[in-house]
Amino acid sequence: MQAARFTYSKVYNLAAKEEFISTVKSGKILAHKCTKCGYLHLATTYFCQNCGNKGFENALIEGKGTVATYTIITVPPAGYEKYAPYAWVVMKLDGANLRISGFMQNIKSPADLPLGTKAKIAGYDERGILIEKL
Amino acid sequence: MERVCVIGAGSTKYGKLQDSITDIAVQASVDAIESAGIEPKEIQAGYISNVFGIADKQVHLGPVIMSNLGIPEVPSLSIESACGSGSVSFREAYANVAAGFYDAVLATGVEKVTHTGTEWTTTYFSYCSDFFYEGGAGASFPGLFASIARAYLAEFKATEEDLALVAVKNHDNGLLNPKAHLRKKITVDDVMKSAVVASPLKLYDCCPFSDGASAVIICNEKFAKAHTKNYIQVIGSGRGGSPAALQGREHLTTIPSTKIAAQAAYKMAGLTPKDIDFAEVHDCFTIAELVDTEDLGFFEKGKAVDAVRQGMTKLNGAIPINPSGGLKSKGHPIGATGIGQIAEVFDQLTGKAGERTVKDAKIGLTHNFGATGASCAVHIFKSV
Repeated sequence: MQAARFTYSKVYNLAAKEEFISTVKSGKILAHKCTKCGYLHLATTYFCQNCGNKGFENALIEGKGTVATYTIITVPPAGYEKYAPYAWVVMKLDGANLRISGFMQNIKSPADLPLGTKAKIAGYDERGILIEKL
Repeated sequence: MERVCVIGAGSTKYGKLQDSITDIAVQASVDAIESAGIEPKEIQAGYISNVFGIADKQVHLGPVIMSNLGIPEVPSLSIESACGSGSVSFREAYANVAAGFYDAVLATGVEKVTHTGTEWTTTYFSYCSDFFYEGGAGASFPGLFASIARAYLAEFKATEEDLALVAVKNHDNGLLNPKAHLRKKITVDDVMKSAVVASPLKLYDCCPFSDGASAVIICNEKFAKAHTKNYIQVIGSGRGGSPAALQGREHLTTIPSTKIAAQAAYKMAGLTPKDIDFAEVHDCFTIAELVDTEDLGFFEKGKAVDAVRQGMTKLNGAIPINPSGGLKSKGHPIGATGIGQIAEVFDQLTGKAGERTVKDAKIGLTHNFGATGASCAVHIFKSV
């Protein structure tokens, strides 16, 4: 994918969300890098959190990292009953000060997932962003 | 700015209630009006906090409550800020009285959800998260706080038994509160043996889903002095925000909005954490009370565990936390909770807290947030 420069008028039509999901499906994370200060955000952010600038350029990040924290859900919200127990994970992305959270199947006890376990983005479906162990 | 006071407070019992959302909101409002010794027609505006009125077939609660109080002409505003709705609503009421728009207003918080059952509440409460990343990926609220808990236990070498101590302490306090939802003495063993909801949190680490309503009368100092000698003054008010999703936070064991709100409230009051005699904090889960009391500056980061082990946060400790029983034992009717905390401070500082009175208390703090602390309000009160 070509790195393109975002302007406010282009992201205003919410194209960023669709593009973000399509990159997640390919195992990558679409980030917005501030053109002024370089601060990285997930592409669902429209103004720089650090300096307020509205100019971003795309940065495509490899969807790999380590498990920063997680829970194993045994009392799920509606729609997730058939998946329980499952984990919901916050993953720290390698090489960037960014974290992303998502759904992880086949985790039954904390022994299955020590903090720091290497993991990767595995797709997106009705369960949300999918993360799995590397 | 006008000096702002609280001159009356009322609450229903928290728990599984039979009456409608409107009925319990009106009951708490009537209690607050009678507690203040004012006439309903002296109220110039209503601030109504609620999240899931839809669950009991009543939204646009303000005019309904005002009509039931015999003051249909009085304007009202409904406020939703997830579990922090009550304190956010109080802040708006405070700001409008401080600015001189009104002499006296009513702030009522209410929630009625227990009839919907665990699946409905678990699902709908998850809509308070940053849904695309959290609720929409299977995270429940216990799950989000469990994720904070796992990070905290790892970073500060704390144990699940330490978390349980918070539940035990708050249940002890709740036993002394006739209006508390869960009035039952529990032990660390009970907590450890309760069913896992979202590892590492177990059922007894979690506050209950509660019905309930609380109300307070807020006014300027002139109005207060004209009506009563038994009132408290608002000396600090602060609000703050955090990244809505946990993934947006560089540190998973602190809640930025609490720090921002607390700093603003302490600055306005000209006080430091050492000056606070007791606090009602947002202990929706046991882990939250540890994080809150550190973010509020009562303890250094990672040290709340030691404080709880040493009993410092008990009713007779150095800094009593949640003398009411907190969300954990008193209960958590989410739209009412923030107002209920202020009602507790009112009762404590005006000699109405009975057996759970914090000895010699002059200054109380309330801390209430929405979701995983995405929004927060902190208020500081003193007796007069």
